[in-house]
Amino acid sequence: MSVEQWSRVSTDAFNVALFAYIAGMLGYFYHLAFRRPVVWRIASLTAYAGLLAHLVSVVTRGIAAGRVPWGNMYEYSSLLSLLVVAAYLIIVEGVYRLRTLGGFALAFAVLTMAIAVEFLYVGPGPLVPALNSYWIKIHVVAAIAGSSLFALGSIVTILYLVKDRFERRAATPPPIMGGAVGLEEAPPHFEAGSDEPVGAASERRGLLPSAAVLDRIAYRTIAFAFPIWTFAIIAGAIWAENAWGRYWGWDPKETWSFITWVIFAGYLHARATSGWKGHRAAVIALVGFVSLLITYYAVNLWIVGLHSYAGVS
Amino acid sequence: MSSATASSPRVTLLQSVALVWRTLRSMRTALLLLLLLALGSVAGSLVPQVGTSDARIAAMFRDHPLRARIYNQLGLFDVFGSWWFTLITALLLVSLVACLVPRTRALVRNLRTRPQPARELESMRHYTVRHVALAPDRAMARARRVLRRRLYRVAGSNGSAPQSLAADKGLAREAGSLLFHWSFFLILVGVIWGKGTGFSGQATIVEGQTWTEAHANYAGQIHEGRFFDEAHTGIRVHVDSFTATYRIPSGIPEDFVTRADLYDPDGRYVKTVDIRVNHPAAIDGVKLYQFGYGWAPVIDVREDGRLVASGPVVCQQGTPPPGVSPLQLPWDCAVKLPSLRPQVGIQFRLWPDSRALYALLSAGKAMPMLTEYAPVMTYTAYRGDLRLDRPQSISSIDTAAMRRWTSGVIGAGQSVQLGRGLTMSFPDLRQYTVLEVKRDRGLWIELVAAILILVGLLPALYTSRRKVWVTAEPDGSGTVLKVGGFALQRRPQFEQEFARLVDEIARSSDGRADEGSREKVHTT
Ligand code: HEM
Repeated sequence: MSVEQWSRVSTDAFNVALFAYIAGMLGYFYHLAFRRPVVWRIASLTAYAGLLAHLVSVVTRGIAAGRVPWGNMYEYSSLLSLLVVAAYLIIVEGVYRLRTLGGFALAFAVLTMAIAVEFLYVGPGPLVPALNSYWIKIHVVAAIAGSSLFALGSIVTILYLVKDRFERRAATPPPIMGGAVGLEEAPPHFEAGSDEPVGAASERRGLLPSAAVLDRIAYRTIAFAFPIWTFAIIAGAIWAENAWGRYWGWDPKETWSFITWVIFAGYLHARATSGWKGHRAAVIALVGFVSLLITYYAVNLWIVGLHSYAGVS
Repeated sequence: MSSATASSPRVTLLQSVALVWRTLRSMRTALLLLLLLALGSVAGSLVPQVGTSDARIAAMFRDHPLRARIYNQLGLFDVFGSWWFTLITALLLVSLVACLVPRTRALVRNLRTRPQPARELESMRHYTVRHVALAPDRAMARARRVLRRRLYRVAGSNGSAPQSLAADKGLAREAGSLLFHWSFFLILVGVIWGKGTGFSGQATIVEGQTWTEAHANYAGQIHEGRFFDEAHTGIRVHVDSFTATYRIPSGIPEDFVTRADLYDPDGRYVKTVDIRVNHPAAIDGVKLYQFGYGWAPVIDVREDGRLVASGPVVCQQGTPPPGVSPLQLPWDCAVKLPSLRPQVGIQFRLWPDSRALYALLSAGKAMPMLTEYAPVMTYTAYRGDLRLDRPQSISSIDTAAMRRWTSGVIGAGQSVQLGRGLTMSFPDLRQYTVLEVKRDRGLWIELVAAILILVGLLPALYTSRRKVWVTAEPDGSGTVLKVGGFALQRRPQFEQEFARLVDEIARSSDGRADEGSREKVHTT
């Protein structure tokens, strides 16, 4: 097949994936509201089908471009959303056996993909010399994998904050205890232990899984992402050393990935600090998420630096 | 501390030092410092920084002088070199030491001592009682084997009744965390040693020329570390050719290659290398990186047939206005002839692809110059005083004390008469390459540190500390086993691990589940 044909296959598969995710998202939200296991099953299968099409899209894009399919922002976005969906299906549905969070993960993927086709699309082509190194293959993949897990963790963190609010309101403590029952006091659901891996049990109470389960998933996902992100920064430094003769130069992209890293390190510390666990730590994670989005979008598109080769002009 | 001495100034000083130390040791301080570091970095990415955005800083001083001066005072134009950023980093490192020393001591103590016995197994988070058919010492031996197989450290009393053992696992978590945190100091050592003893500079070399690595040959574009011993290497770089390839017509760069022969300090040929972006060359601990390039027309000037200037002249580009690609911009260079009376300076504007000049003149259209094509230069000559006693730019002439003399156009291969016996010719157009030349001996230290950071992080985040105790008391023909334990992290996982552990310990020696086992499980 010719470059144009491969490229067309890639775009078509991308659209198929996008529509599958939209359908899956609607199904998941329906299940969230009305608890229809059949609808959940269909939504989940649709998400898997979308993932398959998405994989085809990424692979054929690589064939069309004659290189790894992560060389510009359109491609990063595509891979990012693919990994968010995959991480959701593996971690949340697979390991924790939760069924009600799919709509949120797919919504993130849909939004990322819509922005990608609408604003960031460029045809397949070779890489600019600065990007043409095997370190880019390692560095970028690690950065995208880390980002996707941070994103998933942050989505769950948002849900945790929402649910935590409801639970606190529902379990209004007797006035004499006031605010003494914070999360650091390890409320009963922390102790129960029986809600893992069958977090599903906690889904039966209320619209979302219990705050404790959400908190744990968020933490574990972010803790999973952190070393990957650390590795991405190290690989980026090695690449910069090779390309520019300096491993660190406080260029905006470097600076922002460092900021993101420091904030999530702060999150990990907050979880070990009394008075910062739970609620406040979650807020730090969200600040980290905003920083991640800035690292990802703003730095590539608006802040000028050596990394401004997003391939969008 | 007795109350009698509490008010003496020495004790107050000690007390405040202790207070600072305690503050630095707290996790809350570490957290705050981390967030401050992030905040400072945000400032560094939003405010233009010296070195990368000098033009924007100058614009700010022009347009908002007050704001610019305040920013400058606060070090906001050089955040990562500012005193306060350094202070935050230093405080973080001191706080890190304050945290790590006691943690490391505790870990060493922990590694040396064996798991400690415990009373009150009943009140542990996980607690189970089982009845097994084995005799107490056999049951204990079995428990010990099971725990050892699961990589627990086991210590226990034999003989006394009731028999008991204590076991723990997961010191890798703390060890990994400590390795992770300590490694930041290794990075610091690498940076100070590497930058301190190293140098980095930029060498501008025209095709066909040979450049020697020595302080003077960097034309000021060199930064030497604080502990640099002034011993430059003396290696030589002969540039055969430089090639820039662009995709046509988009102008997207494809490849930049400097082909060079490298010679050791004694002038012996070592190797021929292609230096490209992402592919530096290395010789004698020095690395050469492709950094930039430009055009260098060969210009000869004769006065009554006698050469007064000859050779390639390095041209430079100004910063393009917004929306204009550097590829569309002509190149500026200058020839200065101080030996003539009056002095003469010629300012050139080079168009490596003359079609771009004609497109601009005829249609007002900017066109990228991707290859050399019938190059032309416009020139303006001045007479007067070049003022060479002042700082000079290599690509322009200080015309304050000069008068415009003559101007015109010259194409490659042509010569023109300037008048007063001066002839100028333009026999050839070459390119020059700019190589970043660098020596950093700290790189391998930083690489090792980075690997240790990752190696430490994995157990720090993914393992957990667990403790288990077992006691055995004779009960008729068999034994009552009490098993208690808890995990400090990943408690839900331990729930299952504990249950499996108990099952395995309690299983009778012939492998069948014990019929008469009686069980009491409680979870707090
Ligand atoms: C250079 C800045 C620092 C960075 C990047 C950093 C990063 C991290 C990370 C990623 C973790 C999670 C891994 C683990 O659980 O061991 C961690 C844990 C920890 N850090 Fe730091 N840290 C820094 C400074 C400090 C300082 C100054 C302290 C002293 C208060 C400290 C004390 C701790 C402690 C006690 C833990 C263990 C928490 C737990 O077990 O949950 N760190 N740090």
